[in-house]
Amino acid sequence: MTTTAVLRRIGLGGITGSPIAIAVALALMVVLLAVPFGHNGYLEIVFRNILMYAAMAYGWNLIGGYTGYVSFGQVAFFGAGAYCSAVLSAHGIDNLFADVALACVVNALFAIVVGLPVLRLKGHYFAIATLGIALALSDIVANLDALGASSGLAVHHVDEAHFYVYYYAMWLVALATILGTYFIARSKLGFAFVAIRENEEAAAVLGIDATRYKITAWAISAMMAGAAGAVFAPANGFLDPSIAFSVDSNVFPIVMAILGGAGTVAGPFIGALILAGANELLQRYFIKIHTLFFGAMIVIVVLILPRGLVWLFGLKGGARTWLKSLTAYKA
Amino acid sequence: MTAAGQTATGVALRISDVGMRFGGLWALSEVSFDVEHGSVVGLIGPNGSGKTTLMNVVSGVYKPTTGSVTYDGRRIADVPTHAVCHLGIARTFQVVKPFASLTVRENVAVGAMYGRYGGKRSTRASFERAQELLEIVGLARVAERAASDLTIPDRKRLEVAKALALDPDVLLLDEVMAGLNATEVEEALELLRDVNRRGVTLIVVEHLMKAIVSISTTIIVLAEGRKIAQGAPADVLASPQVIEAYLGSRWVKRQEQLRIIEADREVAARVQPPEAGA
Amino acid sequence: MHLFAQDLVNGILAGGILAVVALGFSLVWGIMNIINLAHGAFLMLGAYLTYQLFASFHVDPFLSLPISFVVLFALGYLIQTYLINWVARAPILTIFLLTFGLSLLMVNIALIVWTGDQRGVTTAYSGANFTIADVTVPWTKLFTLLAALAITGIMQLWLTRSKTGRAIRATSMDIGAAQLSGVRVAHIYAIVYGLGAGLAGVAGTLISLSYAVNPGMGDPFLIKAFVVCVLGGLGSVEGALIGGLVYGIVEAFATQLDFTIGTQHISGSGLQDAIALVVLLIVLIVRPTGIMGKATA
Repeated sequence: MTTTAVLRRIGLGGITGSPIAIAVALALMVVLLAVPFGHNGYLEIVFRNILMYAAMAYGWNLIGGYTGYVSFGQVAFFGAGAYCSAVLSAHGIDNLFADVALACVVNALFAIVVGLPVLRLKGHYFAIATLGIALALSDIVANLDALGASSGLAVHHVDEAHFYVYYYAMWLVALATILGTYFIARSKLGFAFVAIRENEEAAAVLGIDATRYKITAWAISAMMAGAAGAVFAPANGFLDPSIAFSVDSNVFPIVMAILGGAGTVAGPFIGALILAGANELLQRYFIKIHTLFFGAMIVIVVLILPRGLVWLFGLKGGARTWLKSLTAYKA
Repeated sequence: MTAAGQTATGVALRISDVGMRFGGLWALSEVSFDVEHGSVVGLIGPNGSGKTTLMNVVSGVYKPTTGSVTYDGRRIADVPTHAVCHLGIARTFQVVKPFASLTVRENVAVGAMYGRYGGKRSTRASFERAQELLEIVGLARVAERAASDLTIPDRKRLEVAKALALDPDVLLLDEVMAGLNATEVEEALELLRDVNRRGVTLIVVEHLMKAIVSISTTIIVLAEGRKIAQGAPADVLASPQVIEAYLGSRWVKRQEQLRIIEADREVAARVQPPEAGA
Repeated sequence: MHLFAQDLVNGILAGGILAVVALGFSLVWGIMNIINLAHGAFLMLGAYLTYQLFASFHVDPFLSLPISFVVLFALGYLIQTYLINWVARAPILTIFLLTFGLSLLMVNIALIVWTGDQRGVTTAYSGANFTIADVTVPWTKLFTLLAALAITGIMQLWLTRSKTGRAIRATSMDIGAAQLSGVRVAHIYAIVYGLGAGLAGVAGTLISLSYAVNPGMGDPFLIKAFVVCVLGGLGSVEGALIGGLVYGIVEAFATQLDFTIGTQHISGSGLQDAIALVVLLIVLIVRPTGIMGKATA
């Protein structure tokens, strides 16, 4: 078996990735509906965070995984969405639908305005510019008195008995990002994104207006992250720049999407579930060294399944193929 | 332009006084010619004569330094790259550019989705169109393979299929027959003739002289960035200027000497008729 | 006027350190096309090494510069050879993630070994400074700047004059051609990654003189290294130096901004990162290959 064949088996399986993996992801989503019935506040928050990270990972996946523009700044959109809810709450509007709608509109506009100059950059330069946007926005918010500056502001939330509302809202946001990704990937839009990722010049020759589709991808990804932020803010009850623009919220979704499988439909969810789950368990049993295990886990997975865990689902030839793939990326 | 020029048999592409400079080097200068609707124009010339540069100018990838290329009266330089195919101009690349992680069929379907009539096609219709084209170019057997797995001749076929998926009126083909064996060249020529019969104007860059001569209605010869000849294949190839450009002046001189010797022999033969004729 | 001069001097002093921080990052990025997220962690290890040598054996931080370099070089060389090399031909994202994982590992090992407490390297000359024309200059920072200049100078000479340095530059220009002329690319990459780590270690030593040492100290410097690389252009020594100085100066002046719009008070000390990053964005958009940069792929 040639090297390219091994690589294809481990990393190429159509524009949506393995259908089995998608079915598994959706089945797990259905299972997650049951979490609030356990009446365990801790578990509910853990899984709500998993759903939140998953939604953000899908946002990143669309621009980074599908369109090939690796953004380090998706947390800017998450934070912007969270502050939308905070501002609405400060004006006496406490409605999750309004929160999510405002976050989506604001983020789409934000993404278009920022995207016009920034999406002209490629590769690492784009990555750094987006990181700059996220850090700058965090700094700016930390200095705006109207948004509570660095000391933050309270966001109204429902009483303890109805806390599950936030869980199901986040579940809906996550489901929307999964299904949205699935339908976008299979549509003409998805093919435009992948064509741009594979070769922007060749895509243009085939009639694809790269600027327009890159901005489309970025705006949708911004809405996904923003929606997650809009639900997070009232669920958390309090917002400040270090929470809204945290490094974890920036890095986790990227790691989750890549670990699960960037540019696939099931990858980000599976990545979020495994990573956040492992993080939680490790934190519980190895409180002092859990991040160490976390780091080790990332290193090991990258070395043994560089294109993401999701490809295990579609692996033809099982362990033998996988063993052969191990050396395929070696210099 | 007169009304007559706009009919289907009139001028499709007008290349007027095109010059292209890279730094201090003029890759093209003062190149002018018209391409008639429905014709097959063969573009030949030695390596480095500016053929691919001209293809890039005509397809809007480069903006010419001087002069202009107009298609049905519109300046191509004013049109963004992604909109050129919507005018009805498509091209293949000498260095093929498949989307490596997509399958062969998906590669062609992308063209069908975003090309000239892409707006009217659903995803499903685009895949159906892609399948048709794969059958036409002979790639149906590998439709499900990753484009990165194709052999070189198959990649060339894929380039043609992608360009055809854009539903062009004018198709620019940059060395699509390089690396093909004799049978494959015959097949490719048959395919191109078929495409041309459907009303697509072709501009063909090729090194294989036999192929170019057999398919072209007009041949244009470039040398060092200038057009040195234009006309019917037989006439152009007989032109000493073309022979000189291709084979060098020493060869031409030698041919000249040979011709003189030939002529001398002929004269001698006339003076002393062979014995057999007596 | 004197405030202006003081800001300028502060900026240059800070910029010298940033140049060394960015130098190794820039070489790894420019030559291997790797965004090395472990760079901040290497820097942190260099700082702890300096701290430990100083605390346990009273080794002067300036004397531990070569030790930091050698130890971190060896670590980087091994990581490249035995880990990164396994995925050398993977998409860039994969390597990015790998370096992130490595960074987490190193930071957390440091957390276990040294705990999260702030440590400092306080030498006899730590607080000393001198004043010229109303401008105060701390001696440690001046020496740090001189050391930084010396290090960039040595790197530049080594890269242009030595055989290995030339092989490195050849590899960055054209891998294929370098391979054909007998350069062992895997070995060169290991050396470059080692250099990146070694220079980060040296930067960590210099930083430990003026800043607190803790496991998370590398992160802000990692981000600044990014910015400096963009300002100066990739993979060039003089680019890192100039980028570092420009960034240091911009940041120093940004700190002094102080004005009010309506009821909103804006103070530069809170916004210094934002201002630097806005400068970065403008540079990126106007001149994507950096101020000094040449066109790169």
